[in-house]
Amino acid sequence: MPYDQEPPQLATVHGRAPAATARRPVRTMSVSRGRFPPLRRSGRIALVFALATGFLTHGYHLFKYPLYLTDEGIYMQRAWAVVRETSLSPYTYDYDHAPGGWLTLAGWAFPLPRQFETFGNAINTGRFLMLLVHIATVYLLFEITRRLSGRVLAASVAAFLYNVSPLAIYFQRQVLLDNLMMFWALLSVFVLLRRECRIKHALAAGLAFGIALITKENAVFFVPTCAYLLHRRIRDSAPKRFAQTLWPFALMAPVGAYVTYAMLKSELIPSGLNFNLENPPADHVSLLYTLWWQINRSQGTLLTSDGLLFASWLPKDGILLLAGVIAMVIALYWGARDRDRNLGFLVAGTLALAYAFYLIRGSVVLDFYVAPLIPLLAMNVGMVTGRLLRRTPSMVRMGLPGLAGAVLLLAPATGYLLTINTEGRVEIADQYNPRLNLTGMQEKQIAWIRKNVPPDAKIIMDDDLWSELHDVKPFYPLAHSHWNAASDPDVRDKLFGKKWKNIDYIIMSNKMRESIAENNAGGQEDWILAALKNSEKVWETSQGDIKLEIYRVK
Amino acid sequence: MILVYAALVTISVLLTVQSAHVLYMMLYTWDQPKAEKRARAPERFLPPQYSFSVLLPARHEEDVIQTTIDRVVHADYPTELLQVFVICSVDDTGTIAEAREKIDELRRAGLRNVDVVVFDDKPVNKPHGLNAALPHTSHDVVTIFDAEDDIHPAIFNLVNTIMVDDGVNVVQAGVQLMNFQSRWYSALNVLEYFFWFKSRLHYHAHYGSVPLGGNTVFFKRDLLVRLGGWDDRNLTEDADIGLRLSGMGERVRVVYDDRYVTKEETPPTLGQFIKQRTRWSQGFMQTLSKGTWKQMPTRQQRWLAFYVLAFPHGQALLGFYLLFSVGMILVLKVPVVIALVSYLPVLLLTAHFLTAVAGLYEFTEAHGLEASPKAVLRMAIAWYPYQILLAYAAVRAMRRQLLGRHDWEKTQHVGAHRIQPGKSDSHAV
Repeated sequence: MPYDQEPPQLATVHGRAPAATARRPVRTMSVSRGRFPPLRRSGRIALVFALATGFLTHGYHLFKYPLYLTDEGIYMQRAWAVVRETSLSPYTYDYDHAPGGWLTLAGWAFPLPRQFETFGNAINTGRFLMLLVHIATVYLLFEITRRLSGRVLAASVAAFLYNVSPLAIYFQRQVLLDNLMMFWALLSVFVLLRRECRIKHALAAGLAFGIALITKENAVFFVPTCAYLLHRRIRDSAPKRFAQTLWPFALMAPVGAYVTYAMLKSELIPSGLNFNLENPPADHVSLLYTLWWQINRSQGTLLTSDGLLFASWLPKDGILLLAGVIAMVIALYWGARDRDRNLGFLVAGTLALAYAFYLIRGSVVLDFYVAPLIPLLAMNVGMVTGRLLRRTPSMVRMGLPGLAGAVLLLAPATGYLLTINTEGRVEIADQYNPRLNLTGMQEKQIAWIRKNVPPDAKIIMDDDLWSELHDVKPFYPLAHSHWNAASDPDVRDKLFGKKWKNIDYIIMSNKMRESIAENNAGGQEDWILAALKNSEKVWETSQGDIKLEIYRVK
Repeated sequence: MILVYAALVTISVLLTVQSAHVLYMMLYTWDQPKAEKRARAPERFLPPQYSFSVLLPARHEEDVIQTTIDRVVHADYPTELLQVFVICSVDDTGTIAEAREKIDELRRAGLRNVDVVVFDDKPVNKPHGLNAALPHTSHDVVTIFDAEDDIHPAIFNLVNTIMVDDGVNVVQAGVQLMNFQSRWYSALNVLEYFFWFKSRLHYHAHYGSVPLGGNTVFFKRDLLVRLGGWDDRNLTEDADIGLRLSGMGERVRVVYDDRYVTKEETPPTLGQFIKQRTRWSQGFMQTLSKGTWKQMPTRQQRWLAFYVLAFPHGQALLGFYLLFSVGMILVLKVPVVIALVSYLPVLLLTAHFLTAVAGLYEFTEAHGLEASPKAVLRMAIAWYPYQILLAYAAVRAMRRQLLGRHDWEKTQHVGAHRIQPGKSDSHAV
């Protein structure tokens, strides 16, 4: 303030306090001002219930269902490389994903008493972390929804759906980068929803988001919403400038470390600045080239009748997807209509919308890419439910969601707790069915290998077995996935010489044959298919549509 | 080679932690609403209760001394409760003449509360001058302003109110360099003051270990007398007396309100800047080796005092490391993980720079000035050389300390913060 500004007045005595007002002003709930209702006893009970439910629904049967997935194997294999070889991959790391996820997995496994084998095998060890991450995410989802909506009911509904949705259980039990990314992204939102949004909170939120970004890059779709939320939280505060400067800094710090890593390895830019997608540079991998390649990948099969939406996601949980999308549209409408009062709806709606856009925009989408959408849809359903029931009598407010929850759990058609099996009988849904031990099939496969295959055999397999064969004695150092055998020069050319006769065994995982076919556009898997033609089946097991086999090459 | 790696990782981690802590202190009041509230000036002033003796140590300040005297005697405070002493050594005839001329002029206008104290003994430095003037003071509170200071007219009301309200015996009010566009290093120098007085000093006050500033600091006179005045062999007598007071358990109230800061200028030349910074660094080194800080009652106080006083040593080492690190980037080939760890301090350096940019906009907005992208660009270019400059001054201080040279290298003042009519009205009276 310039000197010519009016200085404070001299007072003859201490100023008299203004007359006490008759009534304290009611402090309405406000997301932008950090006015959230306190978590009272009933809220705490609801939260504990949500956490316990999450522990049960995701923890029970965790190691038996679903089947170990290729990608679970890849992430555990890379975590193994971090711990055992101080590298980001046992093969050439080609920047297909940022390494935050498997660095976390490595950090988890490293201090455990038997490291990767603590929970039976490497993927189980990763899955136990997923359980812990799920419980932490339930807490974050509960609190974020409660703070955005001001209602415990909304938070309870969101957490309930997130805990019991078969879609959620299926994908969140698996060791997936998406689950870890979502934890960090929600943590970032949660930090921005503290009562006070100070500089340290902006820094922490930015850092958490940066870790989300280097865990899985698709977190980038949440940036606009998070930046807007930060802006709304700090726009009238004293540390505004510092918070809005340091949030992006903290966000970029982990990303910068990743880029620096590539730079130090001389793998940031492709040799000769060659970004030609038809003719990729051959002498070394490149972060920017891989990024460019990923941006230009397209698939566009999500919404077709045989696409993932209709073939996989809707059959697993059409109720949450449908209700979630409707709720998202309502939340967006309310949020856009009154951004000041309905900031919470705007945040929840745009988070879900941004991720939905990512899924439907036409790039490559894998089955598990839906995982991050689930908590966001649950959040929107919870918030809209809370708003719609806000003026109803408490009996209705509590009773209606309770009834809906009971129907979801008890109606066999939903597949939430019960299901109708192929013989038309009602039974416990797959995710809880004690008679269904899918991963046991993979354990039997491993047992057969250990008994019948010599450790020096040259093996082509899928990644779900990789850690088991490389981390447990006797080691099978020449066992490699068909992905690496088809594309990594070290494996393809040096070990196998790209000749089918150099393969001793092919260990088929579920749907590996389809993967080989899909990955064979350039004929790179031809020599493996030739080996398959020249082999005899020596072991097999099947259950439903799952089939595991072992072939010995003649 | 493993030893080199270990050293590299250790130094990087230590630098990162230290740098993060400094960043925390820089942002302390912005980040802590309670601290910000404590730092604020009262919105209403109490009637004058305390009388003030103002000490104006001056050496070769012919250009600025008259304006400074004028500002003090015309402050918004009853004349009978103010007395002003211009302090000069006997050889500084120019400043003495200028001061006497002003005093005569004031006397003609009926103001008789200004005098000149001339001392003729050694050493010729600020603390000795202050000690020479202290016996002449008779008012309740003794305060110091530098000869080039632009004080706010309400500063005495402000301090009077705080002393009455809070019952404290020592108040440090804000000092702010203003001319952020004068030289290439000015913006960074200005921001150092901004973060120091607006934030970091409050952190020190909170933990009871305050290296006080050299001016706009107010002491109850009897406390100063009990303390025996200033250490006239110390080049940072202000920091020294602050830590001595903290050691006595004396609570220091720090107040920084953009409206009431005392305005100063950055040193006019690079040479002057280096001399000033060398003096401060050497003063901290002297205070550290003097060991008074060891008598502080709590470990936390001692640690904080040690941390501040030892900083110039660290800065000197950092200077060598900065140069060494450039060499390492070009020559040394280390594993990627170690290289990534060694980049951590660079990350923090970036955070410091971004904080400084935000601080520049905070500073200019608070004082009715305008920051521009050009100013930010200048800052970005100056950033690394400025760190080297600070390190150089610290090395120079270390050298002087080792050689036993403790003479006072005076900083020249030209009044660059006193804007001429027709220019910015940021602090026009």
